[in-house]
Amino acid sequence: MKGTTVLGISAFYHDSAAAIVRDGEIVAAAQEERFTRKKHDPRFPKHAINYCLEEAFIETDELDAVVFYDHPWLTLDRVVQSVAATAPRSAEQWAKAGSTLLGSKIFVDRYIRRALNSDVRVLFTEHHPAHAASAFYPSPFDSAAIITMDGVGEWATTTVGRGDGEEIEMLREIDFPHSVGLLYSAFTAFCGFKVNSGEYKLMGLAPYGDPVYADVIREHLIDLRPDGSFRLNMEYLGFLDSPLMTNDRFHALFGGPPRQPESRITRREMNLAASIQKVTEDVVVAVARHARELTGLSDLVMAGGVALNCVANGVLDREKVFDRIWVQPAAGDAGGALGAALLASHTMLDVPRKRNPTGRDTQQGSYLGPAFSSAEVRALLDRNGYPYIQVEPEERARLAAEALAAGKVVGYCVGRMEFGPRSLGARSILGDPRSPETQVTMNVKIKFRESFRPFAPSVLVERCGEYFDLEEESPYMLLVAPVRADRQIEFDTSGFQAGDEDMLALVRQPRSDVPAITHVDYSARIQTVHHDDKPDYHAVIQEFERLTGYGVVVNTSFNVRGEPIVCTPQDAYRCFMRTGIDMLVLEDCILHKSDQPAPSDDGSWRTEYELD
Amino acid sequence: MNRALFQYHPVFGYIYVPGLKARIEHEGGGYLLKTNRYGFRCEHEFQKAKRLDRFRVLLFGDSFTAGDGVSNQDRFGDQLERLEPRVQVYNYGVSGTGTDQQYLIYQKMARDVECDLIVVALFVENIRRIVASYRPYRAANGETLLHAKPYFTLGANGELELHNVPVPREPVRPDEVGADRRHQLDLGGRFLWLRDRIRGVSPRLRDLAQRLSRYQPLPSYGHPEHPDWLLLRSILTRWADEAQAPLLVMPIPFYSYVEETSSATACMTRFEELSSIPGLTVHNPLPEIWKLSMADRRAFRFANDVHPTRRAHRFYAESLCRTIQPMLRSHQGVA
Repeated sequence: MKGTTVLGISAFYHDSAAAIVRDGEIVAAAQEERFTRKKHDPRFPKHAINYCLEEAFIETDELDAVVFYDHPWLTLDRVVQSVAATAPRSAEQWAKAGSTLLGSKIFVDRYIRRALNSDVRVLFTEHHPAHAASAFYPSPFDSAAIITMDGVGEWATTTVGRGDGEEIEMLREIDFPHSVGLLYSAFTAFCGFKVNSGEYKLMGLAPYGDPVYADVIREHLIDLRPDGSFRLNMEYLGFLDSPLMTNDRFHALFGGPPRQPESRITRREMNLAASIQKVTEDVVVAVARHARELTGLSDLVMAGGVALNCVANGVLDREKVFDRIWVQPAAGDAGGALGAALLASHTMLDVPRKRNPTGRDTQQGSYLGPAFSSAEVRALLDRNGYPYIQVEPEERARLAAEALAAGKVVGYCVGRMEFGPRSLGARSILGDPRSPETQVTMNVKIKFRESFRPFAPSVLVERCGEYFDLEEESPYMLLVAPVRADRQIEFDTSGFQAGDEDMLALVRQPRSDVPAITHVDYSARIQTVHHDDKPDYHAVIQEFERLTGYGVVVNTSFNVRGEPIVCTPQDAYRCFMRTGIDMLVLEDCILHKSDQPAPSDDGSWRTEYELD
Repeated sequence: MNRALFQYHPVFGYIYVPGLKARIEHEGGGYLLKTNRYGFRCEHEFQKAKRLDRFRVLLFGDSFTAGDGVSNQDRFGDQLERLEPRVQVYNYGVSGTGTDQQYLIYQKMARDVECDLIVVALFVENIRRIVASYRPYRAANGETLLHAKPYFTLGANGELELHNVPVPREPVRPDEVGADRRHQLDLGGRFLWLRDRIRGVSPRLRDLAQRLSRYQPLPSYGHPEHPDWLLLRSILTRWADEAQAPLLVMPIPFYSYVEETSSATACMTRFEELSSIPGLTVHNPLPEIWKLSMADRRAFRFANDVHPTRRAHRFYAESLCRTIQPMLRSHQGVA
């Protein structure tokens, strides 16, 4: 089958990935970390590329083009200009960046040809247009306003554009160092979490605090203007002239030195998290209002790392700046690979844009990664002598749901792996949302992560309104909305309000009749599950509803802290045996922990993954 | 990504996972691998009855036939079909197998499949594999494990006796094999310690070491009464005797034979002797290979991997085609 086939690549910053598009249709996309088992792996995505070619089942000489998602010469320009502006203070910072840039990045075309053993045509897009393309082309909209926001691309950190048919037009941009993504990362680092990884934790921490520092941030750190543009006050930030995100003035502004990683989280961090979250929401809404005015369009698409802030997305949704919003599920740099491939297909190779005849998006539920056949799974299990039972799909749904209803934790590895940072029921750990103990148990005994972190619900799309104040679909877990008021339960926050910083005491109190997925502010990060996107997962939740009356389950990523989400059945089995997961579903095979031979490892694997 | 390419089989030891589509990362740039629903790396789904206007070849062998290092379409069996469209090739090759396992595959899977010719593409190293009861495989975690395989021995009256069937399922570690069975392990030939060290050096140095030492990798071909050779000969004799069509043995030479850095004389002599077996003919491509330049011959294998390149597969396809084409002339329906 010959069509116009384009391979997109993102690499060398963080979250390397590859995506392949044939005649404008997404064939496959995957992050390199899933194959190398190194979280946020920035290296050239040779394994992800291999997978994409496998899924398309083509030789490298059948590719029409390979597209890199970033323009290395423009990035070099930023580095050089930044050095000139901040030298000699920034020497150490930029020597490091420069050596990487002048290495593999700047000669990326040669690097790609050598890696693929092919003289394939290599094209380049710019970073933010690639994000814009990843958001617009797969969206369900004929035309839409586009917002991209992240740390930094070549120069741009925030853009506003417009998509119409095959065309994408970039209308406005805010350039480095003025970046809301980097500002959020500065607070992430200051609160003791890892940059480009811990932003999600900061967002999860925010509901425990009060935005008492929001005015300080507005007054000293960011000048947000009525037209949505903003400037950062670099006197307080370190990333321009040092290897650190913040500096002493920043520390003085917020009451002392940064929190040490893994130390106790205090009220200060909770309040800082709430404050930067509030400011970020204000920025996102302001940029969106400007985008609406500028484009006159009623629908919005978004990408870039900031678009993964689903709390801000939820606020934007409720503000009704736009009628409809669609966010690329792989909104971070990984999605740039997909955007680059789509942008090249439609604007350089004249491929018409593919639309979904149902009117839904063309992201295919973001199930764009590898799948493993039942025969492959059985080959693994048989070869290693792991006991299992093979079942029909209906039986699989029933057994998984029964285990969940009995309070068991189920590892679920069925179908194509998700593209993007969220598990959407293909590589997920599932639990019972009704139990107040589920959140603590799953955090501490399964995920080995911080107990304050909330879990997300997967809800049958047809039941969403019965549980949440959310009117539209949220198939990619990118919208946060409140649990319905009639399900909320008042809980005792007096001790916490009086100064007790024990978040666990709050977490253990039921906050609704689905406490495991209700955050302390009654919010939930929702995944609506549509039968057409993932019938097997829909069936599990439907069966759980038949057994319990609840059409919703807890869904968290199938990994432990610091580990990339599992990819292969081997990965899933390993994670299953190392954690408190009770049952593992591998395609049509069911494994019970109690039946398995004792693992041979000694627990030293816990040091295998760098803590995020 | 480690896809499980093989699944356990109680008689052969293993076959490919059926219905597989994979791309294998490789120094040659990666290759596409597809298996049929029977668990063989064949573009055809096997059917017992054959078309009268096709000359059907059943092809057996190991990784050189199955095509490690190249995509399905680039293997000599598939290239043969394109060179001679009247020929249909059913590829039963399975990586890592010995001639004993290939014969068992024939017995269980292909004995009642209509055909005009059976080709055994016999990588000459197989003489070592047929005496082994275990072969090493690298597990996903990098550990070397030994997997049991079926094997034959020659009885007192020269009859073949089959062992290890059903094949034990569980792999064992090398240190779990007792001293009395160590000779049954195929760990890749003699001087294991030295080979392990040489493996780490550059391909050029390795080639130089081979050229200087003229290391003979397969001494079992050295004498017509060598027990390993007698076993191989017996397997082929029985195969030819049972086969529903003529058996053509095509020895696939070791790279040092191709590049003349070790003597192939004994090996070639042994294979010539096979022609006396009723129902069996031998096609030895090595003399044709030696007519090529040394650079062309070096291009038969990859820098590190000794498996045939696309170019080598092309050569074997052309060579086999020249052997088969005369058979087509006398074949009713395809002539």
